[in-house]
Amino acid sequence: MTPVKSILSRIVFLHVIAVAVTSIVMSLALSWLLNVATNNIHSEAMESQASSVARHLSINADGQLSLSLPPQLQGLYSQPYGRYTYAVIDEDGRAVISSLGDHTALFPADPRSSTVAFLKSRRGNAALSGVSIRKVLNGKPYWVQAGEDLANGDVIIDDIVADFYRNVGWVTLPILLALLGIDIAIFRRALRPLHDASEIAKHISPIRTDIRLPVAGIPSEVRPLVDAMNQALDRLDKGFRVQREFTADAAHELRTPLSILTTRIDTLDDQSVAEALRQDIASMGHMVGQLLAIAELDAFVIDDDARADLREACAEVVQSIAPLALQQGRDIALFDNGQPVWIKGNSEMLRSAVRNLAENAIRHTPEGSVVDFTIEDDGTIRVLDQGPGISNEERELIFRRFWRRDRSQSGSTGLGLSIVQKIVELHKGTIKVRNRPMGGTEFSLSFVKVDPPSQ
Amino acid sequence: MRILIVEDNRQLADLLAKGLKSAGYDVDVLTTAAEGLDALSMVSYAALILDLGLPDGDGLSVLRELRHRKDPLPILVLTARGGLNDRITGLRSGADDYLVKPFALEELVARLEAQLRRPGQILGNALRIGNLEFDPRNRQATIDDEPQILSSRETAVLELLMRSKGRVVSKKQVEDHIFGLSGDVASNAIEVYVHRLRKQLSERGAKVQIHTIRGVGYLIGEEKL
Repeated sequence: MTPVKSILSRIVFLHVIAVAVTSIVMSLALSWLLNVATNNIHSEAMESQASSVARHLSINADGQLSLSLPPQLQGLYSQPYGRYTYAVIDEDGRAVISSLGDHTALFPADPRSSTVAFLKSRRGNAALSGVSIRKVLNGKPYWVQAGEDLANGDVIIDDIVADFYRNVGWVTLPILLALLGIDIAIFRRALRPLHDASEIAKHISPIRTDIRLPVAGIPSEVRPLVDAMNQALDRLDKGFRVQREFTADAAHELRTPLSILTTRIDTLDDQSVAEALRQDIASMGHMVGQLLAIAELDAFVIDDDARADLREACAEVVQSIAPLALQQGRDIALFDNGQPVWIKGNSEMLRSAVRNLAENAIRHTPEGSVVDFTIEDDGTIRVLDQGPGISNEERELIFRRFWRRDRSQSGSTGLGLSIVQKIVELHKGTIKVRNRPMGGTEFSLSFVKVDPPSQ
Repeated sequence: MRILIVEDNRQLADLLAKGLKSAGYDVDVLTTAAEGLDALSMVSYAALILDLGLPDGDGLSVLRELRHRKDPLPILVLTARGGLNDRITGLRSGADDYLVKPFALEELVARLEAQLRRPGQILGNALRIGNLEFDPRNRQATIDDEPQILSSRETAVLELLMRSKGRVVSKKQVEDHIFGLSGDVASNAIEVYVHRLRKQLSERGAKVQIHTIRGVGYLIGEEKL
């Protein structure tokens, strides 16, 4: 059997089979009942005809059996096509009187076997059906047979039976189909709470783990499933919360000691080694920040509705990083047309991506050169430096966690570009790296453009 | 000037107090949100340095409570959480500035002074870069202690740049500062004022440099030799 998944289609499927079977069985049963009923009517009619023929039987003076039918009855039996017939049979089985021309008995069966018998016989084209009743005259028993030719065109009872299929039989089908329609409506109504619950369930995601399915109105048969689902969500919610809390706790536990260390150095009376120590702590603090960023990104999901202005995020980063760049003797410039560029995403994460790209570019561009940022209307940001460029072998390596070209160089954690890549991935964007024709590297990030938010 | 530090790590709090004392401030140190709120309702502090991770509740709730009281107290938030949404949450809840651990004491003092120098706040010290000094109280610039006469527009630009020492001032901020809401600003007006100011300062021997960050804004710093 083909697997039918939906409850409704299963119901419809089985219901259609039930309708088909029911309409066939019901028609057969009804026609059988009708046949029985018409047979009864026919038999009663025949019996009364035989009785009325028997009433007019008498024995005349010479002891002969005579039949004097009233004219209206005579007319009944003298029809040219012989629809109705009668015969009177004596003790010896001879047909004493018969409406048939050849003076024979109507039915070949032994008429003496019962008082009232339902008999049938075929005579040529005629299909005779009738009864035989016993009548005693002058102490002698006679049997009066009465019959009707069922093949006769005037017999309406058979027509009724035949018409039944055409007229009555087909009426049952629409009724059963209407019933099917009603059933479907009832089931739809009964399943509506499930439908509503699944609409709500669509909104469940790692950022919305607080949603629970409503249990009000859920059919008791399905309730265990919904309850189990809600319990599963409770466990997931807890898991996500633990993960988030861990990241926050780890940040606190790692950064506070670093802070103590920094402040202790800042308040030292002897400041001769302080600057070097400060730098060490700063790079360690940077590393902790990058590690936490990665931990956070692994559990982060961007809200579907989140949108951000790429230009603003970029301008903010350039603004905040410019003092650092100038301090290190590098210049920094932003090229845009001043218009917001709306993309699908989280603005804080975009800032993080651009900041990491900027730090990377400032580190690699030679002193006295410029790092350029360009924003394009199609949701692309390009970061261009004038550094040594990236060889083909390094193209994949640079995005690996902790990969560094020069491991002796301080200040780099080897995590920045992997963070950028992860953020772009979360935004369903693309990241491209190429060497500029005149030297230097170009990183371009493309994001999904969206319409500006309506004010 | 009395500063309150609410930080649950006693070691860090004491070190910060020591550092701020040597910078000339009086400091009180408390370790819980409840104590902090109590102290703030009894003593008038010049500023609050607040750690967000406190044992008896989130530092954010202290922030909200203070802002609910309409307390104009400058609040500098310290946090170990440099996460994606923490920064926004902190600033929206009413922090005036935000420092992610670890930070240099110098940075903390600088940010604190920037807050104390805001209009309506106590500190009115002169701002100094190299041999250039600017006193916000009388809006007087001096180079090597020689008072300088600058046009009002040039003074306004200089004041904004000096107040934002170490940070980039966007072109929009300069426009707003000089022209306010009066509207019609010629597209190159700001460039012209900055250019003139730069020229004036270098002619008069100021050892400062006004950097143009293309597409972003301006930054004043000590001249590099």
